[in-house]
Amino acid sequence: MALPRLILVTGKGGTGKSTVAAALAMALARRRPTTLGDLDGRGTIARLIGAAHEGETLEVITITPHGELEAFIDRIVPLRSVSRRILQSRTFGYVTAALPGLEAFLMLERLRLMAGKAALEDRFAVIDAPATGHALELLAVAKGIRKLAPTGTLHRLSSAVEEFLIDRNRCGVMLTVTPEKLALREALEAAATLRDLDIECVGAIVNMAPTALFTAAEIAKLGTVEAHARLAERRRELNEFADRAREELELAGIAVTELPMLYEAALGAEEVEALSGRLETELLDRQAHEAESTNR
Amino acid sequence: MKRAEMLELGDQRLVICLGPGGVGKTTLSAALALNAAIGGRAVDVMTVDPAPRLLDALGLGAGQSAMQTVSLAGLGAHRGARLRALKLDAKMTFDALIERHAPSAVARDAILGNRIYRNLSTTLAGVADYMAMEKLIELHDDSSTGLIVLDTPPAREAIDFLDAPRRMLELLGSRAITLLGVGRSAMGGRWSMLDLAARAVLAAFDRLTGLHLLSDVQGFVRSFDGMYAGFADRAARAQALIRDGKTLVVLVTTAEAERIDQTGEFIDALSAMGLTLGAVAVNRTMAPLPAASKIANADLPAALKRKLKRNLDDFGALKRRETAALARLRERVPAGTRLIAAPDLGREPRTLADLVEIARNLIAH
Repeated sequence: MALPRLILVTGKGGTGKSTVAAALAMALARRRPTTLGDLDGRGTIARLIGAAHEGETLEVITITPHGELEAFIDRIVPLRSVSRRILQSRTFGYVTAALPGLEAFLMLERLRLMAGKAALEDRFAVIDAPATGHALELLAVAKGIRKLAPTGTLHRLSSAVEEFLIDRNRCGVMLTVTPEKLALREALEAAATLRDLDIECVGAIVNMAPTALFTAAEIAKLGTVEAHARLAERRRELNEFADRAREELELAGIAVTELPMLYEAALGAEEVEALSGRLETELLDRQAHEAESTNR
Repeated sequence: MKRAEMLELGDQRLVICLGPGGVGKTTLSAALALNAAIGGRAVDVMTVDPAPRLLDALGLGAGQSAMQTVSLAGLGAHRGARLRALKLDAKMTFDALIERHAPSAVARDAILGNRIYRNLSTTLAGVADYMAMEKLIELHDDSSTGLIVLDTPPAREAIDFLDAPRRMLELLGSRAITLLGVGRSAMGGRWSMLDLAARAVLAAFDRLTGLHLLSDVQGFVRSFDGMYAGFADRAARAQALIRDGKTLVVLVTTAEAERIDQTGEFIDALSAMGLTLGAVAVNRTMAPLPAASKIANADLPAALKRKLKRNLDDFGALKRRETAALARLRERVPAGTRLIAAPDLGREPRTLADLVEIARNLIAH
């Protein structure tokens, strides 16, 4: 099965969503022009990628709820000076707060348009989405809006967004996990919720998986260097848990790709590039291979 | 650890733990509460989204949303020790709030039956935050309680929680109602051009959508009309409580590089609100690393020694990464605010004993 045009990357806070999204976009950009959408608004992504890597095949854009609202108002009020003043009015702020889910919905509509454009131009889009809880709320908004709107334009729009979300060619979610119980639990719960929403989970990245170094028998010999034994045991535990995470995720029908823990004092563009190389061989090549064998 | 690098709890009546999602606010809140309770205080802790094991430890297993008394047996608790735990249910709190404040059964049913309230009330801007605040006032009114520890919903921004009462009030306030409504005469003459323009846009939105969403929102907001005074009163009390001298605000975060800027923004936002930040607690920091010389002196096969050395180097790199992040964070912490490192337990906290251990490294005695 081929990857969808737009991939949302989400996971528990601290599992390295932004790093994974950046690495994935970099890997994809070596095959097709790719857009990396930053919903964080702090420029984290731009820092991770480094200006040198942005170019013809990789563009980084920032998507904010407020920006989408502005674009929406601009569509209704073509006169920019007027639309800007409306947006600045305090009252308008209160009212949009009262219009539940409007901003979130407009973000989804934007993602739909991005995926449509990507399909048309044979591109990919990767979205550095909020942490799992917020991301799943966001994805459920279209359904909520449609329930609120039995007929009318917004109903049609929300139906279009919903169709987009469940279209495996256009939209999918990539989950990030670290070798920790809580991160794994959140990923498994998210996968179940996505199934309920009928949204494709394209896979999970077990991130920060340590390379194996010690066997249990070796650690048993370390009685005389207790502190080092603990450190070795910690590594073995993390390693073992990464394997367990892979097993449990695969058991839940989720394809797993592992990214190694980078034992580097700083994480910058160079490290993200190394991870993107890993994703290219472990994820994209495999995907291409599978797609080929299905076609045959 | 030096005393100045630990949290000191004096005669506080309220500790509020704020911070982004996934940093362990709930665990630290529970650890603080348990520690104070064992020390002999009557403590209530309100949690938002604890892991199942922690829930079990606090007696708040699945589906349990009422206040639970936590057994402190075997923990060496002082006289007078009491710990109660409560899991916030925003929707139930909201329903109860409306039951209490609604001026009539008709008004109550109008809200509870409103499609906006039913479908989206808990995702509505700040509702979960507001409900945490509401519950807090309720707990604070109980004079038998010596200390309340409040865990808050995960926030994109620091002010999400602290600002919730004000936003809620503005939402329910007369300006919004007037704007949405067909015009209440009292406000009729005071619309600015901008308000009129905004109103036109909203009308256009309503036409475009063909939803009558606005009239529903209006109905929703308007049904709060008779309850506004009650809400305003509660919100004012909440604001006073946050700023009270006996309240300690703790910002919880982790030392990951991607989190530093977000934490810095939290700090700036809190100071912009005129709030005193009691401490910044950096959760799950790495424990000090053992000395390399121990490997050299050990009687072990050379190959195993090389592995130990490599493992130490690897963790050393991570430790340097963390130290650099902590240094960047320290620059953003205002003078007079403590930066406290809460060392990683090395495992998922699942028992009260685990919480006691976390607290021992965190709180000065």
